[in-house]
Order: sequence, then structure tokens, then C-alpha cells
Amino acid sequence: MNKILLIVRNDMRRRLRNPLSIVCMLFIPLGLTLVVGLVFGGHGEVAISHIPVLLVDNDKGIASRFLKQGMQQGKLAELVDVVEVDSVAGRALMDKGKASALIEIPKGFTSRILDRKPVEIGIVKNPQESFLPVVVEELAGTMAVMLDGITRIFAKPIGDTREMLDAGRWPTGEEMSGILAAARPRIALVREYLADSLVTLRSQTVSTPGEKPKAKFSIFALVMPGSILIGLLFIGEITMQDIVRERETGTLVRIAAGPIGGDQVIAGKIVSSFALTFLSCVLLVVIGRLGFRIDWGSPVELFVHLVGSILMCVGLMALLYGFIKSERAAQAVIPGFIIVICIFGGAMFPYETMGPAMQKAAHFSPAFWVIDGLKRISIEKSGWSGISRHLAIVYGVGVVASVAGAARLRGKLAARE
Amino acid sequence: MIEVRQLVKSFGDVRALGGVDFTVEEGEIFGLLGPNGAGKTTTISIIAGLLDADSGTVRIAGLDNRRDAKRVKEMLGVVPQDIALYEELSGRANLHFWGGLYGLSGKRLREEADRVLELVGLAERGNDPVREYSGGMKRRLNLSAGLIHRPKVILLDEPTLGIDPQARLTILDIIRDGVSEGMTAIYTTHYLEEAEKLCDRIAIIDRGRILAQGTLAELVKLAGEGNLVTVSGAFSIEQVNPLLSGVAVEHLENGSLRMLVPGQRELSGALGRLFSAGISIGEVSIQEPSLEGVFIKLTGKELRD
Repeated sequence: MNKILLIVRNDMRRRLRNPLSIVCMLFIPLGLTLVVGLVFGGHGEVAISHIPVLLVDNDKGIASRFLKQGMQQGKLAELVDVVEVDSVAGRALMDKGKASALIEIPKGFTSRILDRKPVEIGIVKNPQESFLPVVVEELAGTMAVMLDGITRIFAKPIGDTREMLDAGRWPTGEEMSGILAAARPRIALVREYLADSLVTLRSQTVSTPGEKPKAKFSIFALVMPGSILIGLLFIGEITMQDIVRERETGTLVRIAAGPIGGDQVIAGKIVSSFALTFLSCVLLVVIGRLGFRIDWGSPVELFVHLVGSILMCVGLMALLYGFIKSERAAQAVIPGFIIVICIFGGAMFPYETMGPAMQKAAHFSPAFWVIDGLKRISIEKSGWSGISRHLAIVYGVGVVASVAGAARLRGKLAARE
Repeated sequence: MIEVRQLVKSFGDVRALGGVDFTVEEGEIFGLLGPNGAGKTTTISIIAGLLDADSGTVRIAGLDNRRDAKRVKEMLGVVPQDIALYEELSGRANLHFWGGLYGLSGKRLREEADRVLELVGLAERGNDPVREYSGGMKRRLNLSAGLIHRPKVILLDEPTLGIDPQARLTILDIIRDGVSEGMTAIYTTHYLEEAEKLCDRIAIIDRGRILAQGTLAELVKLAGEGNLVTVSGAFSIEQVNPLLSGVAVEHLENGSLRMLVPGQRELSGALGRLFSAGISIGEVSIQEPSLEGVFIKLTGKELRD
């Protein structure tokens, strides 16, 4: 045991003296997480901030005002920033990409609606954005439908009022009484819809007593498990690469010439690889918590799952290196292997975005069980029952690969022919 | 101290050792001299327990190196052909690791590391990373890592490979000093002069077989070599030829004679006859028997081939 610890201590000391390769590998998961997170914005929470919308009102009528004010009421006001501009300025601002969309209400818009004639609202979308202009388009469409409904129901009273408005005067009390009297049967007809809705939607997050409220969904929490796995595999690869490199430099054979069993030598190497990978993993998790504000869920579940995951990564690398004869061969084969199992396992393209066939194939990649397990712990908070199968597979693969890898690596202790 | 009996080892179809057999006495430096690919490293690897022989046995201090592997390895120090050191660590940290592997710890480990650093002349550079060392310094540290635990037997596999003559002499001195403390050593080399200077006994190995073994004198005698005598002067072939009966003439032309003379008596006789006959002799040079001649005689080729 002392000899195993001696090898582990020596390897750790060597890595600390020359940590560049490990540090570089740590940047892979952190960089991936950061880039994907930044694509979705800010702190990683998927939220839509105020959408800048330009409005060109060539009509200046009741209907255009209805549209304009409708977009600046209540919740919509939190979503959309409407800035009224003239047509030339609006086009110029759109050319500069200053807004997500430009809504142009044509001249005679109100008249045509009141005359029950077809009319078009123009929308110019910002080609640099994919998502936000579509939101504006849907909003404008909804407002148009509402406007159409109102004008159909209240066509007569609006028609009566229109003449007065066109004449530039406000109705007298008698005229107003007449209009309301005419409108009364229609209001009665639709009052059920104009009054407060019988059914309202009250949205809330359900929680059981004693349970902490779930954190806001973070895009980083979705991305980082896959990124961590990629990092762990590459760090495991670097540390296991030592066996091939030391065989080439002769230090491994020199160790084997000492009073130490071959099994102890290989155990020392695998344990030191595990220890270095574990330390790197702890660093990634801490950065994930502090830097990306990821709620990792239960620390115990996370610890148990990560230990199994690291065992699996180190075991797979030990097995691969058991078959590889030189450092050059390792550099040619192993990164490709890591990328393939990561792609299939959903580390690069989330499992949720895969087609049905790929989703089935993902289950055959050990990477899937690591990533999905981490997501269940950190996002779904699914508890032990949710990750029991994951743990069984991850630990199973880890133990089998480590034992088989150690047996293969044992043969590397012999002197070169 | 070391008994190697009928070692046979093949790698696929290539027979590396075809029955290597020798004995090394306690405190002796035993040289394995042979060209590249002769089987020296394979022999050392089998003795060190790093390779299994197909057949044959190795006993060290009466212990079988396979059955009593751990005890045998505790007695052994190995200096491999490669510079088997951790370049990112200091010389001292390397020695602490290799000493720890042999069970040294604490104060004794530190003292032994200081001792061997002093022995190889690296005491002042002990805390520098090995990657900053010159080739000769690395070789010296490589040697000291095999000596730190004061082994009873040290296996030195071409420890001077690839370094300049001056550094090589330093290493030979260190080995001589180390072995004088009672160690037994097997030293493989393809440098004749190293074997001649360092080794008490030498085995000439080629193509996996020991061709001859013994002290330098025994080997020379075994090969039937003698002094190579070169004579120059104002003489003709006809004058000299009748006087050379019983002498092995290697080369004769007017004014130049080269002959092989087995011993001092034969040398005195041959030169006496030339002087008595009034032959005009300008210069006489005598070259004593060398291992190189023996090697050529035994293998039919020069060592560097």
C-alpha cells in the first residue's frame, strides 16, 4: 500500500510541477459551457428581455392607436419596447439592426377597417435575429385578430361615432345616449366575453412542504454535464497516457525492477489517474457552482455519481491504453474515441434534440449515463430512484473497464524486446 | 554471487539468447561485451526479473530470481540504458522517489540521497529540475538512482551510452568507487576500452551466445594473441626473410616488417637475430595484446560492426 501511495504522490507532484496539460483540458468543458451559455444570454437563464420594436403609424386613427396602445399595456409592456418613428427613420434604424422588427400601419388603416375592407399591416424583420422578430410578428397578428373581432361586433356604433370623429367634434350627451342605446343589445350579446373572464389562469410552482423551491432553469446546468464528461475523459486520457510515456522513457520499467509487484505498479498508476481526474472534477463542479451558478442538487448524490463517472472514464482510458503501444498511436486513436462516445452520449448535442434512432443509440454510449445522471441530479432533482440505473451502469462499466485495463497494462511492465 | 545458467529467450522467430551461462563472484565487476543486438540487455532484463526466460535459471546470493523475486529485487540496483528519470522533478526528488521504492524513508532517505548526489558530483545541482541537466549529468543521476539503496548487486546496462569521453571516464570512476564498497556488478558495454579498464572479468557475447569469458589476460591467451611488433629500417626482404623462422609474419616489404610474437622470449629472440645479422633497424614498436584483437578473432568482425 505504501508503494502505491508513493507512486500516487510522485505522480501528483509531477503534475503540480507541470500542470499545463491538465489546465488546458479544464478549459475545454469551461469554454464549451461558457460559449453555449453566452449564446443563450446573460446568466444562462432562458429569458427574453425587452424586444425593441419600431412603429410607423401612417394612419393616426382609432384603430392604429388601438394597436399601438395594446402593445404597451400590462405584460406586453414588459416584453416589448415600442418606439414610434416615421417611415424613413424606421427603415434607417432597421438597416442598422437597431430593432427586432418594424411594424408599419398604412395610411387609411382605420377607414378601411370601419369600411370592412381588407387591409395589411407591414412587418419588417431583422435578419440578424431569428427568434425575437417571430415573437413580434405573432404579437402583431394577435392584435390584428382582436381588432378585427371588435370592429365586426361594434360596426354600427363605431360607424355612428365615426362621422362625428371625422367632423372633428366630440359627441353631445344626447348623441352619446343614442349611440349607447344602439350598442346596448350588442354589449349584452357579448357581455359574457367583455366582463371578467369566468376562467382565469393562475400560474404557480408546486412544491411539497419542506422542499426547497426549485432554482430557475439554467442553460448552463443543461450544458455543463456533457462538458464535464468531455473534460473528465480528456484528463483521464492525459493521466493514463503516462503509462505509455513512462514505458518509452524507461521509468516504468525501472519501477518494475524494484521490489514492488506489477499489480501494485498498475494500481498506483490507476489510482493517481483517478485522483488527478477527481481533483479536476471537483474544480469543474466548484466553478460550475460559483461561476455559472449551477445548482448541482444533492451533494451526496452528486459525489456518488461523479466518483462512478470518474472511475468509468479512468477505466475506459486504462483499457484503451492497454491495447495501445506508443504515445503517437494514442494521440491518433483516443481523441477520436472520446469524441464519438461523447457525440452519441449527448455531450455535444443534447439528447433532447436527437432523433428517435439516435436517442436509442445514445443508451449504448456510457457517456449518456453520466450526462443524464448529472442532469437528473442537478435539474430534475430526481433523487436516488431516478439515478439508480445510471449508477449501476456507470459503476459497472467503470469496474469492468478498470480491471480489464489493469490486466492489459500489466503486460507493459515487461522490458522492451 | 550471481549464477546464470543456460538462459534461452526468443522473441517470436528471433532467438535473442541461445544458452547464456556465466558466474559472477562477490565484489567482482563482470563485463558483458558485445555489439548492439548481441543479447546484453535481454540478459540484464532477465536477471532483473523484467523478462521471463524461456528456459534457464538465474540465482543471486543463492536465491532464484523468479521464486524469490521480491527478496532478489531488494538486493538489486538497476541502471537502465535509458535515462529513466522524471525530468520535471529535481534530482533530489527523483532520488527520494527511487529510494522510497526500495523502502528508504525519513532521515535515512535524505542522507542516502545526499551521499549519492555527492558521489556523482551533483550535490550543488540536486534541487534543480532534471530537464535543466546536461546529458552527462543526467547519466550520473541515472547511475546514482541505482546506487541510493546500497544494493548488493548492481546491473549496469550501457550506463555511458551517448556521452562524451570525459563524462564517460567520470562515470567509470564512480562505478569503480561504488563497487569497491563491496558491491557486485554486471556491466554491459560495446566499448572495448571500458571493459578493459573497469571489468575484472569479461564475457564476449554475440548473437545470444557467450563466445568466451575470463580475465583480460585469459581472453587474450585463449585467443592465442601475442605482441604485434613493427620494425622499420634500411633492409630488404631478402636480408630479413631467412631470419624469421618460427615467427608469424603479418606484413613484410623492403624497409618494413610487422610480425606477431607470442611472448617476451620469442620477441627477444627475433630482434636478437636481426641485430646479430647486422640488419639496419631504425625503429621498433611493440603493441601489447588487446581485447579488440580477441573480439575480431572470435567473431570475425569488429565490435562497431
